[in-house]
Amino acid sequence: MTIITHALITTLGVQALGLHGEDVVLAYAFGVGVDADHLLKAPFYLRAVGLQNKKDYYWRSSLQEPVALLWIVPLCLWLRTYVPALFFLIHITLDYLVRYEKMPFYPYSPMVTRGWLVRIPDKVKEAVLVVVLICANLWLFLSVR
Amino acid sequence: MREFVALLKRPIDAAVRPVVRVLRLKLGLSPDQLTWASFVVSAAGAVPIVRHHVIAGLVIVFVGQLLDGLDGRMAREFGLASTRGQRLDDVLDRSAEGILFAAFAAGGYASWSAVGLAFAAVLLVTSIGHRSGIDPGVKRFALYFGPWLGFPVVFAAVFWIHLAAYVVGLLVLDCRFQLRMDALGGDLDTVASRAAAEEVAERRAG
Repeated sequence: MTIITHALITTLGVQALGLHGEDVVLAYAFGVGVDADHLLKAPFYLRAVGLQNKKDYYWRSSLQEPVALLWIVPLCLWLRTYVPALFFLIHITLDYLVRYEKMPFYPYSPMVTRGWLVRIPDKVKEAVLVVVLICANLWLFLSVR
Repeated sequence: MREFVALLKRPIDAAVRPVVRVLRLKLGLSPDQLTWASFVVSAAGAVPIVRHHVIAGLVIVFVGQLLDGLDGRMAREFGLASTRGQRLDDVLDRSAEGILFAAFAAGGYASWSAVGLAFAAVLLVTSIGHRSGIDPGVKRFALYFGPWLGFPVVFAAVFWIHLAAYVVGLLVLDCRFQLRMDALGGDLDTVASRAAAEEVAERRAG
């Protein structure tokens, strides 16, 4: 999913749960910030592809795969907050709606999956989600006021 | 840093070599026996710790660590290094640390949750340590700072250092896998499954 969708759903979650302070930072870090691992892959992309735009390059890393829960759950227990795990789960739920290849348990398992609802075109899923999330955000924002 | 470690390693190896040779050639000990001895001695350190004799416990732990440093050197010196021996070393090292960490919790020096989470982080690093090559190696060693810094601080440090090392280790393995995918090339939409199949085949081939 694009960063816009992640930002919208994280904002919705922050509003719905009424998060404040550190929890908001954690929500955005684990709901949106985990996409920063693309920066790590950028040098590989430039080396393999160059400056041209090539579709389907494997941009993912274990930072945004379910295997990351192995360190995110202990982190939550240490910080005594559920926020990182919850927003991370939301993040990967959205990512698994897109049909590119994903390795949920690498390096422990070589399993590769394309996620769920693979028959529905990615653009349709993304468009529907963006519209629903914008409406939900607006509704929540206005109803709180 | 590596140069510094190598610089330290040489005189240590030179000093330890005669000890390893005596243990092997005169006493007939094997690396596995040293690994077990290290485990027993280290775990024995838990008894005085639970009874609030921390310094005595840490002295015993130190002796256990010295033994732990000898098994690998003996294996290399006499060409006895094996995957099985390495695995035994890992299992017994983590078991000793588990017992010691629990002793600090049982003795009331740190909370069970802090100790448990620190140990969980250590296990996570071990689970990929041999493949990623990243292991901070601050486990039993960190305990020596406890009497000065306080054990809650030590276990917090063990937790954060190992959690960070685990994340870095995962990323190192990801980068290696990315290089494999980039080398494979072809249809990018299926490159992950093809690279995964290649990795599995390589591992099976040994």
